[in-house]
Amino acid sequence: MKIVVLTKAAVPLSSAIKIDPKTGTLVREGVPLTTNVWDRDAVEFALKLKDRYGGEVIALSMAPPSGIPALESLIGMGVDRAILASDRAFAGADTWATAHVLAKTIEKYVPDYDLVVAGEETIDSTTAHIGAQTASWLGVPYVYYVYDAEVKGRTLVVRRFLEDEGIDEVYEVDMPAVISVLKGSQIPREVKLSRKLNAREYIQIVSNKELGLDPECIGLRGSPTLVAGMAPATYPPRKKVVIQGVPSEVVKKLVEILKSEGVL
Amino acid sequence: MPCRLWPPINKEDYRGVWVYLEREGERLKDVGLELLGKARDLAQKLGGVEVAGVLVAGGEELAREAIYHGADKVVIIDNPDLKIYTPAEYAEAIARVVQKYRPEIFLIGATKRGRELAAYIANTLATGITADCTALEIDPKTRDLLQIRPTFGGTQLATIRTPQRRPQMASVRPGVFPKPPRDPSRTGEIIVEKVEVAKRRTRLVSIEKRLEKDVADLPPVESSDVVVAGGRGLGTAEGFKLLIELAKLLNGTVGASLMAVRAGWAPHTRQIGQTGKTIRPKLYIAVGISGAIQHLMGITEAKMIIAINPDPHAPIMENADYAVVGDYKQIIPLLIEELKRLKNQS
Repeated sequence: MKIVVLTKAAVPLSSAIKIDPKTGTLVREGVPLTTNVWDRDAVEFALKLKDRYGGEVIALSMAPPSGIPALESLIGMGVDRAILASDRAFAGADTWATAHVLAKTIEKYVPDYDLVVAGEETIDSTTAHIGAQTASWLGVPYVYYVYDAEVKGRTLVVRRFLEDEGIDEVYEVDMPAVISVLKGSQIPREVKLSRKLNAREYIQIVSNKELGLDPECIGLRGSPTLVAGMAPATYPPRKKVVIQGVPSEVVKKLVEILKSEGVL
Repeated sequence: MPCRLWPPINKEDYRGVWVYLEREGERLKDVGLELLGKARDLAQKLGGVEVAGVLVAGGEELAREAIYHGADKVVIIDNPDLKIYTPAEYAEAIARVVQKYRPEIFLIGATKRGRELAAYIANTLATGITADCTALEIDPKTRDLLQIRPTFGGTQLATIRTPQRRPQMASVRPGVFPKPPRDPSRTGEIIVEKVEVAKRRTRLVSIEKRLEKDVADLPPVESSDVVVAGGRGLGTAEGFKLLIELAKLLNGTVGASLMAVRAGWAPHTRQIGQTGKTIRPKLYIAVGISGAIQHLMGITEAKMIIAINPDPHAPIMENADYAVVGDYKQIIPLLIEELKRLKNQS
């Protein structure tokens, strides 16, 4: 089994978020990045498949060079090697242009892949687009929200959970295929420091010189969507009324409030 | 020169606002009907263009239901193979029909299945898509759809456009737009399209209703008007029993902070915050929750917040409408008692 895991070096905290005032896109250059929390589920999922069926797990990320430490940690988790697609020309990409680079990198550097595994969504952009878009670029079938899988020849039998319908579904998918891993469904294994120390030698960095993609089809220019404006989200101001005293008095006030606000 | 991988299009050839009508068995999910309501509004702003729905392998009575809720036209994708949902095959079939009819705008409900389909359809049509929009407007000058979505942990509202490509695509979560009233006197056109799909590469083996081990037989947090949530300050799993009782009396549901989920007091599906659910209830009661920024992000759109916490300086208290300083173990049982008494009176 040759498994590619799509991982994003994401901005882990909202306090670290910076926005490019010109393009309205997320600034990741020079910002400390860590692997998107839900992609760690995807990595764990892939490593489990490797434990069971053998093979190789390759992490793939499109990020500025500040994304390298995130990949080093994944090597520490047990990923065999990593590919970082990194080029200024990729900056400002929407999900269409990002999936384009990811798919072309897979086709060039891991042409014999069996499976592509993605996290359910990212913590900083939360679109859940990349898995499906990469599948579309690669021309392969895909299934989201998978929490378990079994290999039967060239078929992957996956179990997935649809939270809003409360149902589990089992699918057979012809490989190669793309799956996304249900967030929170895996317990990511620990990073082994000894492995992480030498991680850099397992990371291959490729730029658009090697990929040779049309500059009009990558990055900001190659993005069908455009951020036309960005405004801080505003929410209703809070009343900030403090209530204290003996519990019976507090409860009396609470009931009054619930009545006046129409909850009771 | 735009990207060569984008087939050249003539924007004027694209007219109408279309909606994907998701089925759950033999009924339409509400989100599709909600989007028909929004579609009518957008269609009017675009000079009275057509509103249409796309239904995969559904019966005519479902198409009529969509017409009663605002569609002028419904295209039924007729292929017995597609009675059973699989993502790639559905996405391909839908994309095929959208390509043929060229709507200016195509909307999809961001249910779990909708999220799975949306980006694949967009990619197949070489167009852009914006996920989880909370508002949709029209720029009258360019006819561009302004796709507005909260992003970066809910701290920012982004306005996204798709200036060069058509259709313009957006996904919207259930409950964001109101469901339009049903008007059985409305009439419209029903078109049956035979769509062939390439050899199936995904096959459904089985479906099982999951019996979630949950803290309570209560509605999900994202669809309740009243949410009573607990955090680490509850101290024990027992504390949740009080919250469940309170939630039931208020016709609401229970939620949890990340800490309470980590402690195993509530399942992940009830977690509220940046790594959990974003909720928009009328009333949010936070019990023993300190209010980490990640949690606050999930509740910023609550209409009213009541926080109960012994620490008057906890961040949640600064972000509440009513900050109740005290021990929940004393306050909640008394509140429950009082609510029961009021109920018995009426």
